[in-house]
Amino acid sequence: MESAAAEPSDSRPREEAAEEKEEEEDGDGAAAAPRSGPPPAEQPPAPAAATMEDCLSKKIEITVSEAEKRTGRNAMNMQETYTAYLIETRAVESQNEGQCSPVDSLWRRYSEFELLRNYLLVIYPHIVVPPLPEKRADFVWHKLSADNMDPDFVERRRIGLENFLLRVASHPVLCQDNIFYSFLTQEGGWKEMVNETGFQLKADSRLKALNATFRVKNPDKRFTELKHYSDELQSVISHLLRVRARVADRLYGVYKVHGNYGRVFSEWSAIEKEMGDGLQSAGHHMDVYAASIDDILEEEEHYADQLKEYLFYAEALRAVCRKHELMQYDLEMAAQDLTSKKQQCEELATGTVRTFSLKGMTSKLFGQETPEQREAKIKVLEEQIQEGEEQLKSKNLEGRDFVKSAWADIERFKEQKNHDLKEALISYAVMQISMCKKGIQVWTNAKECFSKM
Amino acid sequence: MSGGAAGAPKPLPSSGPKSLREMPHPLATSSSEEMGPALTPSPDLLLPRSIADKDLSLPNGTPVDTSSPASSSSLLNRLQLDDDLDGETRDLFVTVDDPKKHVCTMETYITYRVTTKTTRAEFDLPEYSVRRRYQDFDWLRNKLEESQPTHLIPPLPEKFVVKGVVDRFSEEFVETRRKALDKFLKRITDHPVLSFNEHFNVFLTAKDLNAYKKQGMALLSKMGESVKYVTGGYKLRSRPLEFAAIGEYLDTFSLKLGTIDRIAQRIIKEQLEYLVELREYGPVYSTWGGLEVELAEPLEGVSACIGNCCTALEELSEDMSEDFLPVLREYILYSESMKNVLKKRDQVQAEYEAKLEAVALKKEERPKVPTDVEKCQDRVECFNADLKADMERWQNNKRQDFRQLLMGMADKNIQYYEKCLTAWESIIPLLQDKPETK
Repeated sequence: MESAAAEPSDSRPREEAAEEKEEEEDGDGAAAAPRSGPPPAEQPPAPAAATMEDCLSKKIEITVSEAEKRTGRNAMNMQETYTAYLIETRAVESQNEGQCSPVDSLWRRYSEFELLRNYLLVIYPHIVVPPLPEKRADFVWHKLSADNMDPDFVERRRIGLENFLLRVASHPVLCQDNIFYSFLTQEGGWKEMVNETGFQLKADSRLKALNATFRVKNPDKRFTELKHYSDELQSVISHLLRVRARVADRLYGVYKVHGNYGRVFSEWSAIEKEMGDGLQSAGHHMDVYAASIDDILEEEEHYADQLKEYLFYAEALRAVCRKHELMQYDLEMAAQDLTSKKQQCEELATGTVRTFSLKGMTSKLFGQETPEQREAKIKVLEEQIQEGEEQLKSKNLEGRDFVKSAWADIERFKEQKNHDLKEALISYAVMQISMCKKGIQVWTNAKECFSKM
Repeated sequence: MSGGAAGAPKPLPSSGPKSLREMPHPLATSSSEEMGPALTPSPDLLLPRSIADKDLSLPNGTPVDTSSPASSSSLLNRLQLDDDLDGETRDLFVTVDDPKKHVCTMETYITYRVTTKTTRAEFDLPEYSVRRRYQDFDWLRNKLEESQPTHLIPPLPEKFVVKGVVDRFSEEFVETRRKALDKFLKRITDHPVLSFNEHFNVFLTAKDLNAYKKQGMALLSKMGESVKYVTGGYKLRSRPLEFAAIGEYLDTFSLKLGTIDRIAQRIIKEQLEYLVELREYGPVYSTWGGLEVELAEPLEGVSACIGNCCTALEELSEDMSEDFLPVLREYILYSESMKNVLKKRDQVQAEYEAKLEAVALKKEERPKVPTDVEKCQDRVECFNADLKADMERWQNNKRQDFRQLLMGMADKNIQYYEKCLTAWESIIPLLQDKPETK
């Protein structure tokens, strides 16, 4: 069977991706090439992607500065407790002016952040959209609360939400989005605004996407590999976080038991003459040692949060790959459809039946159709074929554009990921070094006390 | 301890061998060499004149040489506080080493080499090297307890080991035991009375100890060298304050040691559980590194680093098990045996008091106290003197031993953290390294 002009996806590697990456977290390298056109959804035509200088993050300061417990009534008129977060924005003044501009602020809750993100996911399917901090406390070790209302959890979530906003604001494409801007600046009516965009309608159904995964014939190999990578990444980071939590738990136990030395040394020192002082003060150092683990592990939670961000980023990466598969599948289906229509047309024109079709059979059974009927059918088919060819062309174009822009963002993402994770590992090593130094200090002090026994 | 006349008693320096040599016991057999300064128990217990006058003998009948009086002035010449005594002042050195496994038809056991170097006249040769097994040490200890009941005999490591739980022939177990046996002999060596004990001499020198053991048994039954002079059944009126204090001290002391032992064991357990998790943790970084390109080296580096920390932790736990815990247990055993000696002392005093009372009731006797009662009184005074002296010696050795033990524990922890620190510091440059080209 002759296949229609479904072009296989472009497998040429992007050339523009190798731009130098800036070190800072906020700014974004200019690696993202301008998009060739608006994304398939009905976003009003956007200008070319912002350069680093134009990124929103350079123009305004964004912080999520506070968290507050609130009670209210939910959609079913039931009372609920939730946490609201204060988003503050302030224009970045140039050095010359020397004035502090006023701070704008508004309150948002987690579900609104989720809405924003879902919107971005649908409208920008070719972008690896930054993830939100986890909805529920996961990978906790025993001393950490799994309670969403726990102040430590809320605090870490506050930081995560701020991080999310900064990520979006420094993304060359996402930062220009109006809905995003309104999220930061317009308290009332924002939800309605988002819903009015009708983005939910454009969301691909999960079933469709899943279907596509299994039945697409010629996906771009790079995306297939990337999807595989994102699966593996999710798996390995999950594993890492789980074991890390257990390690933290055990380490906590080791430190805390040393506290018992403090008490027994104190009791023992009471019956000793010359040894007493040394024992007593050594015991004090054991108490210090036991207490030190709390701060150490609290700091380590930040490291865990950094890993978690990339755990969730892996999911976003996967989503982009899936979108590609879906588009490719769509394309293949359209091509297949076009082929079969052309075939039908040919059969009707020449009178030969090449393939089995129900119509053909029924016409055999119930009598042939008239030449006029046949002509009409052919005409319809020819129209459809023409439409189909145009559609196929545009789908092909869309597909190629998608691949191009998605790959650009993926390259940007890769750079960011490598940079961020390296920084995370460095800070983890620094934490370990600090912990070792504290340990040496405490035990040296204790040894000094013992030497005076 | 309350001091003697001139000069406050200085705390004795280092543990073990050296210091004790400087203080021959007031009742010790005279050494040909120096009559070093003597330890002075409270004046009320020690009666130099009466010692010189009376016909004193140790409870087992050995006459006592009293030509080395305790003098208070010699207190001033007491030990330099310096830990390192020159070897010249010591004339007996004993070491336990070289464990060897012997496989016989009936049993398998370990022997240790016991090496002696000495200039003492009591020894025929200047050097000896014999092999002894645990039961020989056990025999020695029993002999010492029998023949020197007024003294504190150092403890042996535990005799029975639960089979199947501990491997009696593992390197760690044998080494731990060897150290304990070595400590045991060194403590005896340093004791001014015990080191001159004839059984000790034989233990160090005899080629065939078993023959001596058998002979000793025979002699025992013949000469009734029974030390069962703890007659029992006498009720003690009042325990002298200082011995009551010692008893209380030992009770609390062994309690606290027991607690420390449990804490240390718990720490080791927690550390091992932590180690289990670490051993899973490190390799995950490695797996992740396999997925990455630019991050491969950094992740691999972290994995290796964690591996190094695991090794360091393992070493720490092993050290604590092998070096720390056994010494704690030794001291708990020591306390137990000391409490027994205190009980014996109480009995001796009780017997004396009872006999004294019996005499007082008998009114027919003239003022001269019968020899029997006098002997009892001397026994009490002897016992008290020996015990006090040993107690003070023990206190100082204990202080030194624990100082060393706890400093050692601190040291091991410092070394553990230093190893980890080195590992983490060394990968920082690796993590910060920028690849040359993409």
